[in-house]
Amino acid sequence: MKRHLTKVAVSALVLGSLSLASIGLGTLSAGAKAKAAAKPTVATWAEAPQTPPNYIFPFMGLEYFSVSTINQFQFLMYRPLYWFGKGASPDINLDLSTATAPVYSNGNKTVTINMKGWKWSNGETVSATDVMFWMNMLHGDKDNWADYTPDLGIPDDISNVTVNSDTQITFQLTGPVNPDWFTYNELSQISPMPLAWDVTALGAAAGSGGCARAAYGSADAACHKVFTFLSRQSGYDPDNPKKATGALKSYATNPIWHVVDGPWQLSKFNASGNVEFTANAKYSGPIKPSIKKFVEVPFTSDTAEYNALVNGKLDVGFVPSANITTGTTKATRTGPNSTRLAGKYSLAPVYGWGINYFPYNFGSTGNHGTAGKIFSQLYFRQAFQRLVDQSLYIKKISKGYGIPTYGPVPVYPQNKFTSASANKNPYAYSVNTARKILAEHGWKVIPNGQTSCMHPGTGPKNCGAGIPAGTKLTFTLEYPTGGASTAQLMNAEKSSWAQAGIDITLKSASFNTILGKAVPCEKGKACDWELESWGGGWIYAPDYYPTGEAIFATGSGSNSGSYNDPKNDALIKATTDSKISLNAYQMYLAKQLPVVWQPNTAAALTEIRKGLKGVTPQSPLISITPEAWRF
Amino acid sequence: MLGYLVRRVLQAFVVILGVTLIVFLLSQLIPGGQARAALGPRATSGQLANFNHLNGYDQPIWQQYWNYLIALFHGDLGYSYKNNQGVTSLIADRLGKTMVLVGVSTLFALAVAIPIGMAQAVRRNRPFDYGMTAVTFILYAMPAFLAGELLIIFFSFTLNWLPSQPPTDASAWAVLTNPVPFILPILTLSALEIAAFSRYMRSAMLDTLTEDYIRTAKAKGASSRRVLWGHALRNAILPILTLIGLTLPAVVGGALITEAIFNYPGMGLLTVQAASNDDVPLVLGTTLVATIATVLGSLLADLLYAAADPRIRLGEQ
Repeated sequence: MKRHLTKVAVSALVLGSLSLASIGLGTLSAGAKAKAAAKPTVATWAEAPQTPPNYIFPFMGLEYFSVSTINQFQFLMYRPLYWFGKGASPDINLDLSTATAPVYSNGNKTVTINMKGWKWSNGETVSATDVMFWMNMLHGDKDNWADYTPDLGIPDDISNVTVNSDTQITFQLTGPVNPDWFTYNELSQISPMPLAWDVTALGAAAGSGGCARAAYGSADAACHKVFTFLSRQSGYDPDNPKKATGALKSYATNPIWHVVDGPWQLSKFNASGNVEFTANAKYSGPIKPSIKKFVEVPFTSDTAEYNALVNGKLDVGFVPSANITTGTTKATRTGPNSTRLAGKYSLAPVYGWGINYFPYNFGSTGNHGTAGKIFSQLYFRQAFQRLVDQSLYIKKISKGYGIPTYGPVPVYPQNKFTSASANKNPYAYSVNTARKILAEHGWKVIPNGQTSCMHPGTGPKNCGAGIPAGTKLTFTLEYPTGGASTAQLMNAEKSSWAQAGIDITLKSASFNTILGKAVPCEKGKACDWELESWGGGWIYAPDYYPTGEAIFATGSGSNSGSYNDPKNDALIKATTDSKISLNAYQMYLAKQLPVVWQPNTAAALTEIRKGLKGVTPQSPLISITPEAWRF
Repeated sequence: MLGYLVRRVLQAFVVILGVTLIVFLLSQLIPGGQARAALGPRATSGQLANFNHLNGYDQPIWQQYWNYLIALFHGDLGYSYKNNQGVTSLIADRLGKTMVLVGVSTLFALAVAIPIGMAQAVRRNRPFDYGMTAVTFILYAMPAFLAGELLIIFFSFTLNWLPSQPPTDASAWAVLTNPVPFILPILTLSALEIAAFSRYMRSAMLDTLTEDYIRTAKAKGASSRRVLWGHALRNAILPILTLIGLTLPAVVGGALITEAIFNYPGMGLLTVQAASNDDVPLVLGTTLVATIATVLGSLLADLLYAAADPRIRLGEQ
């Protein structure tokens, strides 16, 4: 019996091994045959892990607003009025836009837009009425539009919109604007919608909804009904938000969503993120797809995506930085690829159009009520920033694939908004200078201890208003869990700040917890958060023109730390209202340090299959244009 | 027996209700609330307030919980903004995949572990026993992510015998209809279970083989095969049955690491994602599923035990 049992156990192991071997040999043989296949007509692209696209209707709330949903899904089918991203710059790309350049007149209070006459896949023309359709919907449902901010931008700064002809539409504004700001931040939000969508039931006659052709702002009720219908077709029920409509599974078969003006049409979609597009033969744009099918592949983790790359299952993916052994010496130069991928793929980093920072809470009651008051002292912020060695962190933690942030306007990628002087760090790393600044303002600096205030008062050599003697420079900084490089950065900075006796207690929390805490203080409510870093700063999209009205203006919704500077407010207003350069604004804010500037890591280290052309240069807005890809 | 079952079901109901209440109350502590979690850092205070109002999050907590229970009794687990899907639909999609994958892995583990444990007991303190003990200890100590990656590196990258992951659009039953891509995830999942089950089996079999009735059976002329499979196994399997019942939560709850490495979205990832995103309806939904599985698993263990051992009468004092 003993021998029998042993035989059974051993036999199971041997049989299993033989099975694996025969399967493997079969797989190997099949793989060899596949290599001899013709030029590919299908391109596969990796979605970022656990971020599949999940909303198809290009008029939605913030809850669905993401790069994966908009730039990497909707835009392939429904072209925005104006396309941004020209080569590797964030500039407007009129070639890929559905209209010619907007014309400003009447003291920059009138904007005239001429459509190019592109076609929808159902034969309709992408017309001025399609733009009015979107504008009417915005007028009636602005609270449901992700980028709406009261009294700032469209539709509140529009007095009227008129369709002059099939190809021309005019916007009358309530006051003069900076054309760059209005084009890049406001017109950028508009997506023309076909008349076929102006319905309140499937199969209804195009335009029967009564929204598209109505005079501007005259059909809010009708537009809301159309909005409600289209939202339900997209999965969200505005009348019953807590109940799913289950529409996600029908995206690829719903005739509404089949009407496209982009180069791609959705052919397959499932809730897990498996997305397939076929080329739209009726696309009017300048670059027609050469591949027949474009496939977006979902992944559960960076590891799974990397494994798929190693197996050669993807045409375009990305490599986790942990798998890059040797980095680069300069962000604009690509270093060696991962050894496992170098034979099949080329590495191409892409940098996003944004800045990285974390806010001070200027209203904080932490540190025995002194934190906010300490942060309000410019000298302290200067000393604090002087201890952030962005170049070192980029080199050691990001392996060279990072860009320093010196101010509110990104220094890279190349763009027309950054002045030459903005590329210089006004607060270069210097421990001695940081210590000197603190000492000159009444602090007893104790490196690796706790620096304390020795000379309270409001004079030029004192600690500052509301900072009593003995106050220590101790603060709590929260950062998001889950990222090894973020933890490394935080710990490196903590050590650096400690050199001037600034004692930072690091705490990790979930990303959403940090977002929940990093909000402007409200009167009457406790507000003791001090420093909160969500790790991402700000991405300028769809506000592509990097003015600061959303993040640095007093009282703005994303001014988390309640930064308040009248001069800054005036400079921002000047950039939105008049045609001036951003130089004065960006230089002022770079020196005022409303936040702690942080290194901005590459948005992705893209891997491109060798032989596949047209993927680069990559858009800093992280849009993809597979119609330009060629094998 | 019927009375016992009714009592257990009522107890389960109370436990499930209690768990949902605790999770619901804990979810109220999220800074910024569900609005901030759903809308992100760009949301203005007006957008946050509008979201809260539309979704009833500005109502009293007891009212919100009551509404949740009413919906729950109608089979509606709520809506996940992050996924733009109903929670019921999300769980249904992932649950099937997880149950089949982990279930098959568990069955495979049992099929391998039970004979190995029995063989070890019969050939105790021999080279085979020592060898298998070493193997099981290694498997037991090896983290799932390491086991999975090593299998991928060897069988997929180096030998190119097996794919590193199943197709992304594989259905739940693909494990059975197209098993090749699932070999590596199944081996990863079952490695730990084989180690655990075989050790339990060996230990239980060693105890059983020393019982008087085994000696009696041999003395009465029963063959070795009959003694082992007909008498010893039936008694030695009792702890394994309990373990099977207690693995039901794992079968339902998924295997996070394996799902992440092998690109197989299941309940494990769904649960962790829900928690990371502060997606409260989804957290409540996955917790509910896990609780039901735990309660059912415990009941299943008791029922299996009673079925295997006629001396046990459930519900009797």
